[in-house]
Amino acid sequence: MHDNVVDRSKDITILELLDRVLNKGVILTGDIVISVADIDLVYVGVKLMLSSVETMEQLKSAKSIIEKNG
Amino acid sequence: MDKIIYAILSVKEDPEKLMAQLNTMKGILEADLYIVSYEDISAVVSDINRSDLIADKTNALKFAELIENLAEQFTVIPVRFGSLVESSDRIKKMLERNYNKIQNNLLEIKNKVEFGLKVFCDPEKMKAEIKIKAEAEPLIESIKSKKKSIYTDYLLNKLKEHRFEEQLLAHVDCIILDITTHLKQLNPIQKFKKMVSATNIIDAVLLLEKDKKELCINVVNELQNKYPDLSFMLTGPWPPYNFVDINIK
Repeated sequence: MHDNVVDRSKDITILELLDRVLNKGVILTGDIVISVADIDLVYVGVKLMLSSVETMEQLKSAKSIIEKNG
Repeated sequence: MDKIIYAILSVKEDPEKLMAQLNTMKGILEADLYIVSYEDISAVVSDINRSDLIADKTNALKFAELIENLAEQFTVIPVRFGSLVESSDRIKKMLERNYNKIQNNLLEIKNKVEFGLKVFCDPEKMKAEIKIKAEAEPLIESIKSKKKSIYTDYLLNKLKEHRFEEQLLAHVDCIILDITTHLKQLNPIQKFKKMVSATNIIDAVLLLEKDKKELCINVVNELQNKYPDLSFMLTGPWPPYNFVDINIK
């Protein structure tokens, strides 16, 4: 019965988890640096992950700007 | 060497318990974990080279796992992945500067866990149902009864679209109201987003006391039975990621 409601599906849970880790939690202003590898953690077709994809894209852009400006 | 911060917590009551737990866990890249404290507030950190912190799946999951393990034993404020500070001294100053803000947030989330509740619909089915209602409106009927022209067609279509969107939102609002009524017995702190996508009509996060998990599951079961055309997806319990939206300077 509970399994119908509390979704234990591995994929969905991982998406939910990544969304929280990458998009939520306390932000430390001024000290955050992040390196972005070739991202294999996002599946672009899944709408749940769109906000995370956007975040990663922003981070990638920010990183390339930082690199360009030294 | 930089410090990556995983979580902030208060260890007023049992600092030994935290140290014992940290000794059994490793941070990103298998680094040792330790705490940097100001009074009774501590940040859980590990050392890392700035260039070694890669936002890949392994590291993100490791980060989340660590926060989850800590949250099982303590009230923790999760820190967003990728938060690096260059020295322990700066972390200490940061905790000192934000002491009250952190204490207040810890109080709000004490002994509580987060649940995610998403509601999905079959958009075609829902559109069809709402369209029938929208088309039956007197104003639309009156335009339909006028002499047909390119202008009345345009007006009719625009009006139908507008009415459809209005009714869809009203329908979602009704469901949200029903959900909040059902959830009232759990006394949650809740946040709702509407119409996240064509299928995901409600995206909610709930902050509940830890011991209300079973009750929450029962409530969602009731809602699922009441709305058989919708799919309710409950996830959790999570550390309170969505209820620590403070900026720390």
